[in-house]
Amino acid sequence: MSEEENPAAEPAPVQDVQGDGRWMSQHNRFVQECKDAEPEVLFVGDSMIQLMQQREVWRELFSPLHALNFGIGGDTTCSVLWRLQNGELENIRPRVVVLWVGTNNHEHTAEQVAGGILAIVRLLHTHLPKAKIIVLGLLPRGEFPNPLRDKNLAVNNFLRASLPRVGPVQFLDVSGGFVHSDGTISCRDMFDFLHLTASAYSKIATPLHELLLQLLEETPQERRASLV
Amino acid sequence: MSSGDSNPAATPIPCEDVQGDGRWMSMHNRFVSDSKGKEPDVLFVGDSLVQLLHEFEVWRKLFSPLHTLNFGIGGDATQHVLWRLSNGELDHISPKVVVVWVGTNNHGHTPEQICGGIMAIIDVINQHLSQAHILVLGVLPRGKSPNPLRERNKRVNTLVQDKLASVCYASFLDVDPGFVHSDGSISHQDLYDYLHLTPQGYQKVCEPLYMRIKALLEMHAP
Ligand SMILES: [Ca+2]
Repeated sequence: MSEEENPAAEPAPVQDVQGDGRWMSQHNRFVQECKDAEPEVLFVGDSMIQLMQQREVWRELFSPLHALNFGIGGDTTCSVLWRLQNGELENIRPRVVVLWVGTNNHEHTAEQVAGGILAIVRLLHTHLPKAKIIVLGLLPRGEFPNPLRDKNLAVNNFLRASLPRVGPVQFLDVSGGFVHSDGTISCRDMFDFLHLTASAYSKIATPLHELLLQLLEETPQERRASLV
Repeated sequence: MSSGDSNPAATPIPCEDVQGDGRWMSMHNRFVSDSKGKEPDVLFVGDSLVQLLHEFEVWRKLFSPLHTLNFGIGGDATQHVLWRLSNGELDHISPKVVVVWVGTNNHGHTPEQICGGIMAIIDVINQHLSQAHILVLGVLPRGKSPNPLRERNKRVNTLVQDKLASVCYASFLDVDPGFVHSDGSISHQDLYDYLHLTPQGYQKVCEPLYMRIKALLEMHAP
């Protein structure tokens, strides 16, 4: 699918329908943080990224890696694209970017959502050619089987097939174990059948942290090699 | 209080499943079935500010030991809470204190309508739990900079506080510790997205709230 005809790959800011300007305030804060910080790792995405920062796991595992968190609740591929094109990648040189977005793209098909994620990955490559990228797979949602679970699964399958062609990108599927054998998701993992509890964040953080350490280790070695 | 018929904020309605994964109804059903096995002394009901409280350490430290249930759903407005409470969430429990925190999501409603919605919630709780004391928490300021929703929320608090002055089984608690700084800004250290509370923000809100609940429980003791 060409990106020109994919609405999920069209950058667009979130409209301030509620009238308190919170989305733009958060974006502006992130742009400012780029000027003040030198992150090694950048997390970008929707509430799944944002809420991680409110958890113990952020302080324990990710903050010590010099990570910035640019998550905004409710964001879609379109609004993340817009943010990244409008200052959130200026003045920083993270070595790894973690991207987690797509479950809020309610107006778009699975193929379009995957295309939107690919567009973000391409943008990251253009702005940060040396950075490694981790794309987190979308999680299942809803207490019982429902069309959005099927859609998120399809997005993951599209990503698994197409991401390897884009460059140094790792697809990390952390969705295992959330759906029980009877088809249900537990509120002990997702308190509202979408967002993760503290214990579920700990579960998914382990493989993510391992991959981050591995990628961060690889990068300085490459630099040394290029100097020789 | 006039009949809720003309006030959309006081007309019970379930949240429409626009996304298609049925999460709202799943949560409501869970609350109803949760309430059957439990004998809570305290019930929290409301929107995401109630719901997320359950996800932080402060809940386990302060509120769990008081035998507390949390019936918070993100995005809920007064009319949604009203529907839930009228459809099973109060049928199997008899808490001594009910904490109500809702109203900031009533987009498109006037402060008077939102106040009417909160008063309707108090009516429903009182009809089901005539022995319970109802503690209404003030809606918090929101947005990084001054904006109309801050003004609206402030007005809601004034109206609700006025109404509750003459209600013996309910009271109002302003839990805003001063989130708005002297330059008019709110810090993301307190409200990470200028609406929802950080663990630090919850700490500030919950200390006076905990004291008040403790006092109400002691008054309730024979
Ligand atoms: Ca009173």
